[in-house]
Amino acid sequence: MATAPDTSIAATWFDGKTAAAHPVRVDVIGRALALHDAGGAHMRSVPLERTRLSEPSARAPRFVYLDDGSTLEIDDAEPFNRALDALGMRPSLPARLQRSAVAATGALAILLVALVFGYTQGVPLLARWIAFALPPSVEARLGEQFERSLDLQMLRASGLSEDHQTRLRSMLQEAAARGAPGVQYVLKSRATRQGAGINAFALPGGTIVLLDGLVEAAADENQVLAVLAHELGHVANKHGMRNVLQAFGIGAIAHATWGDFAGAAANVPVVFGALRYSREFEREADEYAVAFLRANGMDAQPLIQFFEAMAERKDHSGEGVADFLSTHPPTKERIERLKRM
Amino acid sequence: MSSEPGREEISPPAAAAREVPGPAAEPPRSQVRFSGSGSEYFRIWVVNLLLTLVTCGVYSAWAKVRKTRYFYQNTRVDGHAFDYHGAPLAILRGRLLALVLLVAYSWSFDISRTVGLATIAVLCVAGPWLFMKAQQFKFRNSSWRGLRFGFDADLPAAYRTLLPLLVVWFSGTILGALLVPLPVLGIVGLATGLLLPLMHHTLKRYQHARISYGDVAAQFQPAVGRFYSVYFKGFLLLIVASAVGSLMALGIAWGANHFRAALGIEGPGDIRGVAIVAGGAVGIVAYLGVWPYFSARLQQVVWGNSRLGPVRFHTYIRAWPLLWLVLKCVALTVMTLGLYWPYAAIALARFRIERMYVIAPAELNEAVAGVSARTVAAGEGAADIFGLDVGL
Repeated sequence: MATAPDTSIAATWFDGKTAAAHPVRVDVIGRALALHDAGGAHMRSVPLERTRLSEPSARAPRFVYLDDGSTLEIDDAEPFNRALDALGMRPSLPARLQRSAVAATGALAILLVALVFGYTQGVPLLARWIAFALPPSVEARLGEQFERSLDLQMLRASGLSEDHQTRLRSMLQEAAARGAPGVQYVLKSRATRQGAGINAFALPGGTIVLLDGLVEAAADENQVLAVLAHELGHVANKHGMRNVLQAFGIGAIAHATWGDFAGAAANVPVVFGALRYSREFEREADEYAVAFLRANGMDAQPLIQFFEAMAERKDHSGEGVADFLSTHPPTKERIERLKRM
Repeated sequence: MSSEPGREEISPPAAAAREVPGPAAEPPRSQVRFSGSGSEYFRIWVVNLLLTLVTCGVYSAWAKVRKTRYFYQNTRVDGHAFDYHGAPLAILRGRLLALVLLVAYSWSFDISRTVGLATIAVLCVAGPWLFMKAQQFKFRNSSWRGLRFGFDADLPAAYRTLLPLLVVWFSGTILGALLVPLPVLGIVGLATGLLLPLMHHTLKRYQHARISYGDVAAQFQPAVGRFYSVYFKGFLLLIVASAVGSLMALGIAWGANHFRAALGIEGPGDIRGVAIVAGGAVGIVAYLGVWPYFSARLQQVVWGNSRLGPVRFHTYIRAWPLLWLVLKCVALTVMTLGLYWPYAAIALARFRIERMYVIAPAELNEAVAGVSARTVAAGEGAADIFGLDVGL
């Protein structure tokens, strides 16, 4: 074949040894490419199986990598793609998916479902599994870090007398022997630097911080015990660790989806969400507390009474930062559920 | 660690698609062209994302290759597109290595101070080699007109240049672990801050003076003064942006209280919520206001001082249009819950790439025709052991 047919495709050939551009015309003949130079003289024929092809794209050129290290750059790739399609040479599966609008829409739909499912089910399940599989030392270390930063920023030593603190500890110890056997915990008393500090919280690793404000606000020690039982529920279910892991998992998904964009934003829930438990965790801890109180021959009344007292307080005044209301919102629904238990 | 489209990592060094008419005396300038489309990249992004999630992140290496290829192959200089040849498995190995190092660095100080310091020592010792390998991987896997770019991986030079940078960078952490008194730490921190532009310049000089295209080596003219000037202006701008951000935050807090009053809600509001919103607003305004200016100006200095044989580069990025574009992209991305992101990536890449010009003494086509492939030394195949993303 001396001259190129009219149907041939304009391309540039690079020999891979210099940057010189050689304008050529390419024909797809059978399962081979025939190359002609600008003058129309036949240069060479290359069987397609001895080439590699770049993936097709709407406006990018298509590259053909020849086995001698030379390259064809086909700027207007549409006729070339059609010729290859006619030979039944299809691009790889991801490339085909990426070309098809239907597949992209499908992928988007699956992706949205996967993200929602991952957010509501997958991440919590995985976090639960990891939290129980991790060595306790990791959880303890994390708890120590939380405790250190709380002590540095928000808390000071408790104003309760040593006797009072010891009484509270032995009260919980006796009750826990019946209500939460085998659960490793440490009870520590602290006070807030500002505000009433009517609160108690469970840190990863089993440390329960009881603030003086809560002891003073509680009508009797049964109410304190009920709140501590609730916190023991967080400890037994490893809610602290799971919370951190969940925030981390959600951050990781956000990072994978939007790259650097979400990087800064993804840290916000990790920092601010660390002490706030989801409704699910609160319900689990409530159930645990009721079982705990029953094991000690009591009922849910002390917990309900404390929640009701807190809800009433909320109607009368606003509260400070380290407040029971902001970390344990005693909603009507929650109190109703406790009453039914 | 991850690369962002539109940063120079995506736009490899070089030259021109359409001749831009200029005064006759001036050498020919050709604009770098970008033909990526938002809707096409959206499909690539969504499929990449789905496969990455389905494979628990393993596909991310293949996704990175597809994404990089898309941006390279849609970038043309003098009518010819760039191409990317990185092997996904090498990138996967690199990512696993980076993950191990990151986890080691984040947790080592929790285990003990000795383990922490040992990890920093390992990072300092391995760092220059890793950075060099990452650059080698990136450039050796980039090509234009059938010829690969290259990176002169000289190990002693890498350590001479980069080890002092790493030691200065980690000095605060090291001294902090050794319980040095706070005033000393403050002085060291301040000194590190003052040295930052110089360190950044050293890194860029190391990078840009070692790039090659075929057998032509690149040069980088030192520009320490201009680095300091960009950093200084960026710092001033940060102060202004923070002031504006604080005003905005106050406005938000005031508006929120007003709104509560209008609704008849009594008592003080959720102070923490308002504080978070206000703090976030300050951060976002400062970041959005200063980052585009800073990165654009730095890109301008770096490329303006780089040469590839007789070929020079010119970038002209004006800060205000870039800021406007960034604000638009962020607003649309937030409003569409992230779905606009791939369109934003394409728009930002186009803005950055198409404001770059290649200046050659003659027609670029003729200027580069004589460039021939460099003979690859034995052992350079090791460049493909792993690929690391270094967004520097």
